[in-house]
Formats: sequence, structure tokens, C-alpha cells
Amino acid sequence: MADKDNKNLNTEPSKAPKKHRLIKDLQVQTVAHIEKTADETVKNGNIEVDGDNFTNNLNVLVSVNNVSMRFKLPSERVDNFKEAFIKKISGKLKYKEFWVLKDVNLILRRGESLAIIGRNGAGKSTLLSLISGIYYPTKGNIQVRGKIVPLLRLGAGFDLNATGKENVFLNGAILGFNKKLLEEKYNEIVEFSELKDFMNVPIKNYSSGMLARLGFAIAVSVHPDIMIVDEILSVGDAPFQKKCADKIAELQKAGTTFLLVSHNMTRVKALCQRAIWIKDGGVVMQGTANEVADAYSKEYSK
Amino acid sequence: MKKYNADKMPLAQYWYVLELNVKKSIKQQYRNSTLGVIWTVLNPLLNMLVMAFVFSTIFGRGNINMDYACYLLAGNMIFGFMRGATTMSLTCVVENRDLMTKTRVPISTFTMAKTVTALTNFGFSMIALILVMVVQYCRGQAVVFGVSMLLAVLVVPALFMFSLGLGFFLSTIYVRFRDVKHLYSVFLTLWMYATPIFYSLDFIKDDIVKKVIGINPMTIYVDIFRNVFIAGGAMDWMQLLIGFAWGIGMLLIGLLVFHKSKNSFVLHI
Repeated sequence: MADKDNKNLNTEPSKAPKKHRLIKDLQVQTVAHIEKTADETVKNGNIEVDGDNFTNNLNVLVSVNNVSMRFKLPSERVDNFKEAFIKKISGKLKYKEFWVLKDVNLILRRGESLAIIGRNGAGKSTLLSLISGIYYPTKGNIQVRGKIVPLLRLGAGFDLNATGKENVFLNGAILGFNKKLLEEKYNEIVEFSELKDFMNVPIKNYSSGMLARLGFAIAVSVHPDIMIVDEILSVGDAPFQKKCADKIAELQKAGTTFLLVSHNMTRVKALCQRAIWIKDGGVVMQGTANEVADAYSKEYSK
Repeated sequence: MKKYNADKMPLAQYWYVLELNVKKSIKQQYRNSTLGVIWTVLNPLLNMLVMAFVFSTIFGRGNINMDYACYLLAGNMIFGFMRGATTMSLTCVVENRDLMTKTRVPISTFTMAKTVTALTNFGFSMIALILVMVVQYCRGQAVVFGVSMLLAVLVVPALFMFSLGLGFFLSTIYVRFRDVKHLYSVFLTLWMYATPIFYSLDFIKDDIVKKVIGINPMTIYVDIFRNVFIAGGAMDWMQLLIGFAWGIGMLLIGLLVFHKSKNSFVLHI
């Protein structure tokens, strides 16, 4: 990345600092304003000049640059002083290094839907966690613009001992809602999740389908710029799945950018324009959703 | 270059998340209890009664120039604030595993919320203390009321910073080493006995032990609070300054350790 920066500085030494300031100013302003400016950028024809450079192109919402992620897996899990001390003096504390992701590059543009496909353990969820800012990459860097809402695995990050209502507020606040907005949206969220009778029950008593419903209901009410969906749609029952699919289509129309993981190739083709196939932590193929999904199906139907 | 670049949570939003975490934490303390928050007042009172009984009838109590019931209660409240804040903070990061693995949550709000919870508990037990003081005053015991007792509040921010810093430090270590919980509870017992809660410092004969107990920051906080709030003594500004130095120092250490490792928390919980 350092090289890339240098190159930019070499080609446009006078332009770069000015642009940088412009973007910094913009980030504190509203999304609508950014969109307007982005259109202006297109009109000025800067897009061809800047390409997919995150700093210069306001239509690039996520830029993953040469990201690698290493997990250190201890041969045994050591989580206390006693064992750590014994293992240390007997020299038995060994780590197995495991690269979950290797040199991944990815660009997500405003308004598009990108699917990440691959087998279990390929690194898809790790990539989503990295983009959501939950993990930090071992190498490389990730740049994100706009409000990002992750829906990873079941639920959306809840406190299991708190009630449904408390979790709506806590989760909503973490996603960036203030008190007034949350009070306005609360009924909408409850209605969408169809969990009206359960809002004062601690959510440890919820079923996995109910958790997913609540998480999805909160996430869509936030009107995120980028929504990250990790196979969440396969949890609910059929009517709720349809409701979610409809809602996603509605949000797509309204310009929300999607990043989703799915094992259902029909859904990938229906919902996404582009797809990226990950295998053993590396990108195998990038392209239109149809191309990649077909290639993926072909590979594993043999 | 920064590895992850996205808008940081605005300060107002951080406060709102903190507020929700505090409310949740206060509520969860008294779940499934009919008396609810009344326990916060009752608990120190009952504790004080037991200790007052033990140390007036079974063991001696040394030379104490103020009412013993108030002396005990005030000492216990100050130490209890630190103990409550730090033991709750210890496990708070690990307890929020689910939130941390699925959202980008400001982790420091968990520790802050626990310390604020301990502070509200302290506030409630002030009701108990004032009650006991009024009762003892009417009985003609050595309790002094006056405007100067309001100065005792000055000790609270120092104690708050000290507890918060220690809380940050402990919650960070606990992520890696789960047996800290047991070690710390043993340490707390030692710490409690090394703080003049039910005895007075003159009671100690050994010079070295006396010195150690004198350095103990909890001794400073307990001493200032009792002298000013109960006995109507003048504020010892030098002592208060040392108390603040401990508080700020501990907070800096805690924050440093916490911020250094918070990005890797999620890999270990």
C-alpha cells in the first residue's frame, strides 16, 4: 500500500492533499451530501482518472487492500496463568500459525450487491468480520466509507441476559442511532420482527429464528449504506424468508450496498450483480454473479 | 498506515451507548429479587451491623475518635466501591463476547458502565450512612454535622479514576488469563485487611506494616472520607493530592494496557 501511495503522490503531487481535505470535510456531512458530490465527481469525469482509488473515488465504499489474516492456534487452548507458566518453562507452548486469508483484494462500489461464495472454512466469515471492523487484519488494510451494518451469523450481537427491548436500543445505539430516532423506529422494528409479545423477555429464551428476525429488523431500519449479511436468511421460516428477500430488494432499489455470503447459488444470482469466490483464504475468481456462481456449481457438482 | 479506516463513533453516540450499558448493568444486578434496588441500601447496613457486633464484642477495636458504627460503614462503603467496580469490570469484556464478535462496539463502555454502576451503588449506600449518622447523633455519639462535610465528595473522583483504571487493567488481563479471577479475589481479601476499615492505623505496632498500610491508596481514600464526612475534621489537601495522583496514575496505566490489546480481544474470548 505504501508503494501505491507514493505513486499517487508522484503523479499528482499538487492534487492529492487538496482532495484529502475535501473528503475529510465530507465525512462529517450527511450521506445525501456525499452522494450529490459523488455525482458531481462523475460529471467532471474524474472517475476515469481516479479509477478505484478509495481516497479519490467517492463511489468506492469498501476497499480491501492486500489483506492477510493470521490466526495463531495454540496446540492446546491456554487461558490461565498456571498453565501458561508451566508450558512456558517446559517449552511446550506452541502455536500453529494459520493463514485464514491470503492477500485478498476487493472493491465494493456504491449501490452494488456483491456475493462472497466458497466452502465452509474458506475464510468468508473472517473477511466479513474484517470489513465490519471486528477483526483487524494482520497485513494490508481496509478502508470503509459510510454506515456499515453487519449481520453476522445468528442475531446481530446481543446481550443474551437483556430483554428484547433493551437489545433493540443497545444494538441500535451501537449502529449509530440516537435515542430520539430509536424511539421513533421502535414500533417499526417490533412490527417487522413480529415479536411484539416477546419484547420484555430476556432474549436467551428466544429461538435462533427469533434472534435472526430481531437482528434483521433492527438492521434494515437503520437504513445502512452498506449491509453485510452472513447466511442469515436461511434461519427464519419460509414466510419470514420471503419478507426478508422482499425487504432486501426494496433496499437495493433504494441504493443500499450489499455484501452477502450465501451457499444458495439461485439466491446469489437473483440478488447480486457481482460475486467473488474464495477458496482456502485466496480469491479464486471474481466476476459477474452468473459467471462465478456457475463456475462454482460446476466445480462441486463433479 | 491504519489497518482499518472508517468513521469513529461520535462522542454523543458513545455516551448514549454508555448510558444504555449502565442502565442494563444496574438492572441486571437485581434481577429476580423482590426488594430490587433497596438491597443497595440494606446490604451495607446489614454488613455494618455484623461487623459492629464482631468488633465491639469479640475483638477489640483500638482507639477510634469517632462513632464506631459510622466509622465501619464509611470505610466499608469506600472499599466496597472499589471492590464492586473492579470485580464487575474484571469479567465484563468476556461477558460481552456475543456483542464483540458481531458488531463493532466501543469496548471501553463495558468497563465504564460497571464502574458507574458501582458509583450509583455507592450513592445509594450514602443514604444508609446518613441514616446511621443521624441515629448515632441523636444517641449522642461522636458524629459531627456541618457544611464542611460536603468537601468529602472531592474524594469520589479520585477513587472513581483509580477503580476505573484498575478495572481496565483487570478486564484486559482476564481476557487472556481466566484464573486472574481467583487470584484477584484472594488479593482483595488481603487488600481489605491492609486497609484500616475496622481498625485504626495507631492500632498497628509493627513499623514496616504501618508504612505499607499508609502507602495503600485505599487507606488514603478511606481516611479522608471518614475524617471529613463523619468527624467534621478539616480536609488534608496534601493527602487528597496524593489520592488524585494514585487515581490519575492508575487510570493512565489501565488505559494504556487496555488500548494496546483491545484490538486483539476478539481473538481470545
